[in-house]
Amino acid sequence: MTAEWQRRRAFWQILLIAAGLLVLTVISAGSVYLVNKARDDSKWVVHTIEAENQINALLLEIRRAESATRGYLLTQGADFKADHDKAVAAIIPALDRLTRLTGDNPAQRESIEKLSAAIETRLGQFAREVDFVQQGQLDKATALVREAASADTTAEIGKVAAVMIQEEERLFRLRTVNSDRSQTLAASMTGIGSGLVVLLALISTWLVRRSAGARDEAEARLRDANVNLEAVVDERTADLREANNEIQRFAYIVSHDLRSPLVNIMGFTSELEELGGDIFRRIGGLTHVPADGPPPSTGEIALEGPDKQLSADFSEALGFIKSSIAKMDRLISAILNLTREGRREFQPEKIDTSELIEAIVSTLAHQAAEAQAEIHIAPLPDLVSDRLALEQIFSNLIDNAVKYLKPGTPGEIRIRGRTKLGYAIFEISDNGRGIDPKDHQRIFDLFRRAGTQDKPGQGIGLAHVRALVRRLGGTMSVSSELNTGSTFTITLPITWNTSNRNADQ
Amino acid sequence: MTQPVSIIMIEDDEGHARLIERNIRRSGVNNEIISFANGTDAVKHLFGADGSGLVQKGNALLILLDLNLPDMTGIDILKQIKENKYLKASPVVVLTTTDDSQEIKRCYELGCNVYITKPVNYENFANAIRQLGLFFSVIQVPPATP
Repeated sequence: MTAEWQRRRAFWQILLIAAGLLVLTVISAGSVYLVNKARDDSKWVVHTIEAENQINALLLEIRRAESATRGYLLTQGADFKADHDKAVAAIIPALDRLTRLTGDNPAQRESIEKLSAAIETRLGQFAREVDFVQQGQLDKATALVREAASADTTAEIGKVAAVMIQEEERLFRLRTVNSDRSQTLAASMTGIGSGLVVLLALISTWLVRRSAGARDEAEARLRDANVNLEAVVDERTADLREANNEIQRFAYIVSHDLRSPLVNIMGFTSELEELGGDIFRRIGGLTHVPADGPPPSTGEIALEGPDKQLSADFSEALGFIKSSIAKMDRLISAILNLTREGRREFQPEKIDTSELIEAIVSTLAHQAAEAQAEIHIAPLPDLVSDRLALEQIFSNLIDNAVKYLKPGTPGEIRIRGRTKLGYAIFEISDNGRGIDPKDHQRIFDLFRRAGTQDKPGQGIGLAHVRALVRRLGGTMSVSSELNTGSTFTITLPITWNTSNRNADQ
Repeated sequence: MTQPVSIIMIEDDEGHARLIERNIRRSGVNNEIISFANGTDAVKHLFGADGSGLVQKGNALLILLDLNLPDMTGIDILKQIKENKYLKASPVVVLTTTDDSQEIKRCYELGCNVYITKPVNYENFANAIRQLGLFFSVIQVPPATP
C-alpha cells in the first residue's frame, strides 16, 4: 500500500462526499422550483375553471334577464319586473369580473370587447322593452322583441361566449397537461435524487469500510513489525552480551593461563640465578686456590678479569629476563583485574558525591602537598550508582591530575558538577602538563600512555575508568592542550539501574 | 606410633611440581612426595579402585592441590576429599595461580586448610613454600580415623 494509493483513496472519498452534497443541493433546489411550478400550474388550471364558470354565470344572468323581460311583457307582473332588474344588476359586475379574469389573454380580451358590445346592446333593448311595457305600449314592446330577435343579439352573445369557453377549455387542457408534467417531474426528481444519494452513500460506506479494513491491516502489520523489532533487538542484545561474556571469559582464561608458564619461567630463572651464583663462586674458589694451602672456606670471593665480566653478563641477562617477566606479570594482572571488574555486579545506592570525592582527596593529600597542588571541590550533584566504581573513576582521575602536574608550577585542580536531563556532568580540570590532541584517543587505550614517560604507570587507569563509565551508562571525554592543563568530563546517569546497561551480569 | 606423613602433590605443570618439590626439600622436609600430573590418577590413588577411599584408611596424608587440572577441576577433588570419611581429616593446601577472591572464598568454604597463590615473584613463592615446609615439619597430621 503506497502513499500515492492512499492519497488517491482520500481524494475519491472527498469527491464522493462533494458529489453527494451537490446532488442533495440540486435536488432540493429542483424540488423547490418544481413544487412552485406545479403550484403555479394548478393555480392557472383553477383560474381557467373560474373563468369558464364566470362565462356560464354571465350567460345565465342574460338568459334570466331575457326570460324575465318576456314574462313582464306577457303579464306586466311586478315580480317579473323585479326579477329583470335583479338580473340586469348582476350582469354588469359579472361582466367586470370576467374582464378581470381573462385580462391576461389577448384573444379573450377581444372576445370580451365583442361580448360587452353585444351585452350593452341587449341591455339597451331590455330597458326599452321594459319602458314600453311600463308606458302600456305593448305593441311597441312586442315589435322591439321581434326586432331584437331578428337582430339576433342573443345568438351573438351565445356565439362569443362559446368561443370564449372553447378558448378556456383549450387553456384548461393545456394547463392540466403542464401541471401534470410539473408534478411528474417533481416526483421523478425527488425519486432519482434520493436514489442517487442512497447510491453515493452506499459507495461511500463501501469505501470507508475498505479503508477501515486497510487501516486495520496496516495496524496489524505495524504491531507485528513492532513485536518483530523487539525480538530482533532482544536477539541482538543477547548476541552482544554473549559476545561480551565470551571476551570476558577469553580474557580471563588467557591471562590466567599465561600466568602459569610465567611462574615457571620466573621460578627457574631464580633457580638459574642461584645456580649461577654457585658456579661463579666455585670458579672463584678454584682460581683462588693456593697451590699449597687449603681452599678458602666461605665468603665472597672476588672474581677477576674475564671471569668477572662473565659473571656481570650473566647477571645482566638474568636481570633483563626478570624485569621483563615482572612487567609481563603486571600486564597480565591488569587484564585479569579488568575482566574481573567487568564481571563484577554493580550495587546501586544513594551516594553523597561530595563526601565521596572529599574522602578520595584526603587520601591523596600527601601527594598533593608534595606537588604543591590545591584541590578545589565545587558543590556536586548526588547520584544513585555503584560506590566502588565511582571511587575508582574519581580516584584515578584525581590521582592522574596530581601526578601529571607541570613541574615548578603550583597545581590547581578543580572538580565541578552539574546536572542536565537526567545526567550528572562532572569536570575534573587541572593546570598540569596537558595532553597533545593527537593522543586524546590513545590515552584511553589499554597499556597506552602519552607524553614524557617519567612517572610510573601501566597505562591502565584511563582505560579502566572509561570501561567503568561505559558500564555505568555514561560517557567520558577529554579536552586538553599541551602545557595548558586538561579537563576530563564525565557524564553519568543520575540514577543507575540495571536496565541502563548490562543487565546481563 | 608416629607414622610418616606422605605428601600427595596433584599438579599438572611439571615445572611447578619441580619448583614446589625443590623448595620443600630445601626447607628440610624429607617426607615422601607422590606426584600426580592429572586428576584422574590422583583420584584413583586417593580413593582406590572402588572410589571409597578405604585404601587410605589409617594413612597420614597432606595434599597439595592445583585447581587447574587438564581433566577436572581441583575444586571437585577438594569436595570429594572433604566428603570422604577416611580423607576428610587430611589437610589440603590449594596451590593456584589465581588470586581471585571468590575462588579463595569457595575453597575455604569447601574445607581447604591453606590457600597459596603461586606468585611470579619467585622470592615470595619460595618463601611461601618454605614456610609451608616448616608448617609440614611441625604439623601433627591427625591420624586418620581408625
